[in-house]
Order: sequence, then structure tokens, then C-alpha cells
Amino acid sequence: MITDDNIYKPFRVKVESIVDESPLIKTFVLRPEHDFSFKTGEFIELTLDGIGEAPFTPSSSPLEHEKIEVTVMKTGYVTDRLHAIEAGEVLGIRGPFGRGYPLDKFYGKEVVILGGGCGFAPIRSLMYNLIAEKDKLKKVILCYGAKTPEDCIYKPFVLEIRKIDKFKVYRSVDHADETWEEKEGVVTVLLDDLDVDIQNSVAVVCGPPVMMKFGTMKLLELGYKEENIYLSMEKNMSCALGKCGHCMMGDYFVCKDGPVFSYDEIKDYPNIWM
Amino acid sequence: MKSGFHISLMGWNKFLRDQEEEYNIYVPVKKDVAIDYDLINNCSLPSIIYNTPKPVTPLKLFFLPVKENVTLESTGSVRKNVIVGTPACDLAALGILDEMYLTPPFIDSYYKMRRDNTILIGTDCYDLLEHCHCTTYGIKPYPTQNHDISLSVIDERAYIHINTDKGEAFLEGVNKVDEPVGLNEEDVELIHSKRQHTRDRLDKKNVQLPGYKETGELIKDSDDAIWEKYAKACVSCGACTAICPTCTCFLMIDRPGFEKIRQLDACQYPGFARIAAGEDHLKDLTDRFKNRYLCKYVWKAEKFDSIACTGCGRCIETCIGGIDKNELFMELASIVEAE
Repeated sequence: MITDDNIYKPFRVKVESIVDESPLIKTFVLRPEHDFSFKTGEFIELTLDGIGEAPFTPSSSPLEHEKIEVTVMKTGYVTDRLHAIEAGEVLGIRGPFGRGYPLDKFYGKEVVILGGGCGFAPIRSLMYNLIAEKDKLKKVILCYGAKTPEDCIYKPFVLEIRKIDKFKVYRSVDHADETWEEKEGVVTVLLDDLDVDIQNSVAVVCGPPVMMKFGTMKLLELGYKEENIYLSMEKNMSCALGKCGHCMMGDYFVCKDGPVFSYDEIKDYPNIWM
Repeated sequence: MKSGFHISLMGWNKFLRDQEEEYNIYVPVKKDVAIDYDLINNCSLPSIIYNTPKPVTPLKLFFLPVKENVTLESTGSVRKNVIVGTPACDLAALGILDEMYLTPPFIDSYYKMRRDNTILIGTDCYDLLEHCHCTTYGIKPYPTQNHDISLSVIDERAYIHINTDKGEAFLEGVNKVDEPVGLNEEDVELIHSKRQHTRDRLDKKNVQLPGYKETGELIKDSDDAIWEKYAKACVSCGACTAICPTCTCFLMIDRPGFEKIRQLDACQYPGFARIAAGEDHLKDLTDRFKNRYLCKYVWKAEKFDSIACTGCGRCIETCIGGIDKNELFMELASIVEAE
């Protein structure tokens, strides 16, 4: 949805509130100047006025049109400064862009979702969508990993989905402490004792590149077909319009042809995990 | 080809200068070291050079300036540009630019505004530069696409072909400077033979150079060693991309007031592909060096209908490391042949 003839011009959104998710991750609740809709897995370009623009996949429900939530990890020039703003600030948005999750391919299936760190953000949006369409799904298993218990985000949301029939959440942390009652280890350990019919299952992976790599390898090992593994690729999506060239991955513009790809679509390109 | 005529060269140049009131007229002029475009009112008419490759400035810069604020409102009336003497390689390069910047839903209104407000007068090449190789990539050394008018200057006569309505409208009033003479079969044959002569020279000169698709295959199948060897002379200056008529990668820069600047960028620069978390698949200079050729001959060749290298040879002429991509490709071809 481009609201103006000018593809480079953002529209304004007001920061309604800011939620601290972890020491490095915040969620910005944004109210756009007009109704805004996106499909789960599509992304936006968020502008901090005069500072810069960066791509984020919204973490809120795609069924919600009046506000949009964006979860941001403090990790670079723009995100460092985003973390310093307060509620009331006006930001800019361009989008939504790209190709999101192909929900129609999930219907009738068991959906396994592997998330790491801030990769939970797009997944939360997807989960909202899957909850709304749970009648069409066999089951949904979320495996989520973070570095430490305090790095785990969306704690209230996890409690909520654990109560929902057909939905399961397993979590692991690399370094546990005395409060942690779930698994310890890298997130792929959660895949070891999965109760899932792999032949009738699709997998979704979203997280830091190294986690995406090992997660995908593990899923392949378990017997997942390449075309049934969906990855949210992270490249330098700068213009988001398939023009600036920064996110090219082989003959794909990740911004336009992705960011969600099935593994078979991208496996032959060099350096996909870098 | 809609229709054609010829008039005296002097009359043609005078006609162009008369249009200066209404248009910016850019003509190819001999400068200190090379030919480049200049406004017609900045130069003497005899200094205009036709049918000789090739202006240093690639055509893209008339449509995608190096740096442009792409969020300011259009200022209303725009003075039209007429670009005279554009060689066929540069006209061909507009194909991929149009695909990238004019395909819905993401039409770049700034690019479109300039395309709509520009009249392109292409010319035949009757001479060649050391690194010209358009015919190797299937491009003829005379205008066949993206031009409004084509121009062949032979023996002090300007032979004009009208290709579009825009071109026809521009030529209204040309009879005020000189009586146009309709083209007869002999004229057509004269132009054809001149064009054919250039084609033959190019084909002969580049007989060993692999074609566009073949180059893509060679690159796909190549080993790292040859890229490491050639990349040793590369200093990531990005000159090859700046002067390339099809390289248009850009950077988005933010200014207060939610303004955005679109500035020419290059995959040759360190950090081009770096993401916030630090991963960068083009961190290594050799990877960046090879990326440009993968992009032009493999990836864009698969993605777009139009060609991504037009064989203009500017990247070879401009490289301070003296890297000749054609030498590289011929070496690749000879390696394959030896195997």
C-alpha cells in the first residue's frame, strides 16, 4: 500500500507507548495517521527523523489496523537512537513491503516455528495470525531460544499462548540461572524431542543468521523437505523497492522477492547466512 | 522508423541552437582528453562531434543524478532536456533502468519525470574506441531502441530519422533553417554501408571475446583463483560503477523533516551489504570485485529482459588499477577451452 505517488516518502506515526522487552529489546507501539494494514511477514521501513531508516517486520497482529507494533533490538546506528526516544515522538513509515508468510501452505499442517532472540518479533505477528486461524491448523509448536532468561522477550504473550489448545511453546536459553525452569542450550536442542509428523509439517525459522543456518540444517536432518522450510532472510534492505541493490542475494532482491523464502529457493546462492 | 530526411549539417546545428530558448540542448563536444556532453550555448558549433564514440558521461546521470532529494515536491514547470549524439550502447542501457525504475507498483516519479521530459537523439558510431564491444553483446552500433530521433552525419549532411511522436514534435520548424530533402534509396544504402562497416570492424576486433550469456556461464563455472588474481589490482574506488551506464545502486540518506536523499552508491565500497548485526557477505574485496560481474552477467541477466552490460568499455578505460574485464573473460574462456 503506497499512500503517495512518491515511493520514498514516509507517512507519520506517533509513538503511543514503549515496552521494555529485555535489556536490549524494546517494542514501540505506533499509531499511524491513517489505517494501516500488512500481511504477516511483510516488513516496513521505519524512519527516525533526520537520523536514518531501517527495516523491521511488525510484531503486532496483521488483523489490527489502528496500531502497529515494532520490536527493535539495539544493535546499530539507527536502533541505538531509536532506543533513546520517548512516547509521543513522531516517526515515519514506508511500506508494507515484500512477500510474507504463505499461510495457505500452512493449512491442514503441523507448524513448527523456530525463533531466536529478536527473531521472535515477526513470529509473534505470525502467531497472532495462526491463533486466529487455528481451526485450519493441526497444531503449532514454537521453539524459542535466547541467550539468558532475561533476554527472553514477550513473556506475557508466551503465558497466553500456552493456554491455547493446539499451541505449544518450548524455550531454551544458552546460559540458564536458578530461576530458569526450561531447557538450557542452543535453540536447536528443542528440536531433539519434537512430537511432530514431519511429513505433514512445515517449519518457519527466524533469528540471527547463525541460528537460521544451524536451525535449517537441523530441520533438514530431521527430514523436512527444503520447500517446507520458510526463512525470514536478513539483508540490508535499504530502499525496499528493488532498486538500491543493497539487499541483492543472487538474482533476488530480498526486499521485493522476500524477505520470506523457502529454503529451496535460496540454497544455491553464495553466502546466504552472512 | 517513422520517416526521414536530410539537411545541411550547418542548418541542423543552427536548428539545435535555435531550440535553446525552449530546451536544454546537450551536444557531444571534444574536451581536453575525451568527448563529453555540454550545453550547446557553451560551445562553438564546429566543436560538436557526431558519430564518434563516446561521451564520458554515461546517459544514466541525466535521469539519476549522483545526489538528489527524492522527497521534495516537484517545482511545477520543468525545462525539457534534449540529449544529442547518444551512442547506441547508452541507449540500450536505458532498457534495464526503465525496467527497474518504471515498473509498477514502485515507479520512481523523479526518474519518470526526467524520462518524460527528455528527447533523445541517438547517433551512429562510425569510429570505435579501443575497448568498444557492443556488438559482442548483441547491440548494433547505431540507434535501434529508446531514441526519439536518430542522426547520421555524412559529408556535411545530417541524415535524420524520426522514431517517435516526441521526436517529430521537436523537429517541427526544422524547415526554417534549411530545406529538408526526403531520403531516397541511395541515402538509405549509404547509411547502411557506413553502419555495416562499423559492425564489421567491431566484430573483427572482438572476435575472441565471449558473448553476454556465454560470459555469464563462464563466471558461474569459474574458480576463485582468477578473481583473486584480477582483484589484486582493485582498490575498491568504485569508478567502474560510477561510470557504468547500467550501475545505479544507491544509498538512502536521511535529512530532518523526513526528507530522503538518493545518492549513487556501489557494491565495490566496503560496507555496502553490511547489516546492523555486522554480517557482510561482501566484506572481502575479491567477493566485491566478483559481485559486480555476477550481478551484470548472471543475476540481472536472469532477472531482467534488458541487458546489464552494453559493452561500452568505460569501466576498462577508467580503472586506475588497469583491470580489463575483457582480458579476464578471455582468460576464463581459454581456461575452459584448455580443459
